Amino acid sequence: MGIELNRRHFLSAAVSVAGVAAAAPLLSACGGGTSQTSGVNTESGLKAALPAYVPSTNLKPDIPSVAGGPDVLTDPGFLTYPANPVATVSGVPGRGGSYTAVTPLWGTVPTAGNSFYQAMSKALGVNLTVKPADGNNYNTIVPTMTAAKQLPDWINLPTWWNSNFNVGELAGTQLADLTPYLSGDKIKKYPNLAAIPTGGWRVGAWGDKIYGIPSFSSSFVIAGGTFFRRDILESKGITANQVRSADDLMSLGKELTDAKGGVWAFGDLWTYLYTAWGAPLKWRVDNGKLVHAYETPEYLEALDWHYRLATSGYVHPDTLAGDNANGTTRFYAGKELIQGGGMGTWVLSDYQSGVAANPNFRRGAFDVITADGKGTPRVDMGASTSMISYLNKNLKPEQVEELLAVANYLAAPYGSAEYTMVNFGVEGVHYTRQNGVPTFTDEGKKNVQAQTYPFLASPPAVISNPGGDVVTRDYTAWQAANVKALAKPVFWNMNISMPQWASTALAAQPVEDTIKDCYHGKKKVADVRAAIASWKSSGGDRLTQWMTDNVLNKYGTGQ
Amino acid sequence: MSTTHPSTGRPSRLSWLVRLRRDRSLLLMAVPAVVLLVVFNYVPLFGLLTAFQDYDPLVGVWHSDWAGLEQFRQLLGDPLFWESTVNTLYLSFVQLVLFFPIPVALALLLNSVLSQRLRNFIQSVVYLPHFFSWVLAITVFQQMLGGAGVLNQFLRTHDIGAWDIMTNPHTFALLVTSQAIWKEAGWSIIVFLAALAAINTDLYEAAAADGAGRWRRLWHITLPGLRGVIVLMLVLRLGNALSVGFEQFLVQRDAVGHDAADVLDTFSFYYGIATGNYSYGAAAGLFKSIISLLLIWGANKLAHAFGEDGLYRR
Repeated sequence: MGIELNRRHFLSAAVSVAGVAAAAPLLSACGGGTSQTSGVNTESGLKAALPAYVPSTNLKPDIPSVAGGPDVLTDPGFLTYPANPVATVSGVPGRGGSYTAVTPLWGTVPTAGNSFYQAMSKALGVNLTVKPADGNNYNTIVPTMTAAKQLPDWINLPTWWNSNFNVGELAGTQLADLTPYLSGDKIKKYPNLAAIPTGGWRVGAWGDKIYGIPSFSSSFVIAGGTFFRRDILESKGITANQVRSADDLMSLGKELTDAKGGVWAFGDLWTYLYTAWGAPLKWRVDNGKLVHAYETPEYLEALDWHYRLATSGYVHPDTLAGDNANGTTRFYAGKELIQGGGMGTWVLSDYQSGVAANPNFRRGAFDVITADGKGTPRVDMGASTSMISYLNKNLKPEQVEELLAVANYLAAPYGSAEYTMVNFGVEGVHYTRQNGVPTFTDEGKKNVQAQTYPFLASPPAVISNPGGDVVTRDYTAWQAANVKALAKPVFWNMNISMPQWASTALAAQPVEDTIKDCYHGKKKVADVRAAIASWKSSGGDRLTQWMTDNVLNKYGTGQ
Repeated sequence: MSTTHPSTGRPSRLSWLVRLRRDRSLLLMAVPAVVLLVVFNYVPLFGLLTAFQDYDPLVGVWHSDWAGLEQFRQLLGDPLFWESTVNTLYLSFVQLVLFFPIPVALALLLNSVLSQRLRNFIQSVVYLPHFFSWVLAITVFQQMLGGAGVLNQFLRTHDIGAWDIMTNPHTFALLVTSQAIWKEAGWSIIVFLAALAAINTDLYEAAAADGAGRWRRLWHITLPGLRGVIVLMLVLRLGNALSVGFEQFLVQRDAVGHDAADVLDTFSFYYGIATGNYSYGAAAGLFKSIISLLLIWGANKLAHAFGEDGLYRR
């Protein structure tokens, strides 16, 4: 039942277990911070520092990327795993140095010095001691290291914890500036790092300098979408393209709900649907003035519709009771046919669970829509990644270069020899090929499956679900169909640290609580209006002013 | 035993050393519990410092800025804080009235069952829910009484509209109290059963011989025998009036909405810890502790005024 995790925590946790090449982490757009140092980048200053982007040509995907607007590209799809992975790095990257690295890990932490770690150290040519720490407690482990100024040589700092780690302040004091090594054409020394699109590097930049190395970055990052049971809806003659407006969606409620049979049309939709009314994810600029989503009329219109939905009788009672934890179970069981979710759910493991419940299971997603069915649909992009690793400031230049060479190995593209090593281990020991698909042995399940090294550096995301090609085809097709809808919100990929009072105001817990009560039908829109009014006077207006003075007026919108 | 004090009738005091020697094995046995108490209940009190700071986990307690009473000033001006205080007191009151008598009655009932076997069986059945976590207990309620649960699906299939039990904020107090009774009533009877066992059975026999019926015996022997324990439990309950539980409300908060379900503990969690505003949460927690201390002190005084032992003998 509903211990509602922070959305970002939940999604990123889902991503990390999603495995090989799933979706990218999401939504660092709403990350707060405690520091007084804003660490924000300027557009011109950052452009000068950013590395060049040289896409990799080593492997041809089965389903190539499709370009959208600037910095928007669908993830390439792979239906098969290469039979003979090609090497992208010649020789051994390291020169025998000894280093320690700390990464978050969601799952069972492998034993230290296991066969996979040894094999990796050998392949990398460095004595790299990786110390994965429990991802759920990671935000409590790192501050003790930063407070004692005892960071390891290499560390992953997830962006949604930027505020806990005060990264804006750490950059330059405890974290190494990588600009001299990576800026512009210098990155070409590390071709696999150069193949990471610039969006990811922006997320690791502070004060116009490059500090972080992005993992799991993607050029198609959105919060999520509105999913439906494609098998069930199609059996009733309903296809995704019939839903072009909020009214279309509402009318599905009557058609699909069969309360007596224990079937309801909808789960929660709000989180991934409210922008269809034209409300921004968090901020927008109207005539040069910064406006928070709460203050836009579109936001309240969206709420009004969701309130009507909640009281229509088409939403599953358990959803209205806040039982999110069993949402996917209801979806698999066909008791709830349409529900919002992060894009990270559209992966192999989801397909396997769904098919286990019903052999016909097929997940689909409605296209991005506008509420009134008119105009061009638009969805705000999230940050290009939320997984960034940093090097310690105390490393000597040659040590930094050695670790960057290691990062280059770790970032080798999907399907390459290095990628196979990093993600599957040694053939015959950690995995075997079954029907061409690398499949973990028991040793591999124990030590390789819960990913460690990719949290230090990894190639851009691809879509690949060996054994579930339908997922790869459906998801890549959906991305291609919606790529034009992706647009950059204000402050996209900008790192903003703020004082405690401002991040409290940004979290706006009392308003968010009332909003949830509203889209569950327990509070009226007028109640939300009242909560917003009291939020404005108790910190909201001050927050908007702070953002205007410290970010908008100094650094612009980042667009 | 040794001599008694002439005025109080209690054993007169032995010297400290003598008592230490006499009770050393008992004291030794108490050491682990005391250590546990110190480590987990007293040492963390140090963290209360954060309530007077602008605590920043990055720099730690030693280096965070001092804020004086600022957190408390904000807290007392926060309408949500007062809402949760009122909720807490209201839920506590409802539980006191509806929950408190049940274990006493249950213990009396169980005590009157003659078959030892049946007694043990009933006792096990009513104990069991105590060992469920709140998440599980509430899931059971949800599966049975929820909007898509057994009861409502039955009503629906027979065309008698659904009955909103689990998500109605107006009846939430009754819901949580019945959950508490289902889960904890069986566990709470233990102490009353022990007190019942301590009543001298000769009294019953003598009363029965004098012609006292079942009710007269209950009124004149059993209840007076239980009075001390009942008062003690009441004192403890009052001292805990501001701690009505945490998980039970956390889990059901989304079901009925935050303004019905927020109690002081969930307030600290959502508006302190969840938003990274640790000092604010600590201030709310400290405020609650101070009021609780006053309550338990007052209740104890009251117990003494009525001639009972309360928490300790005066």
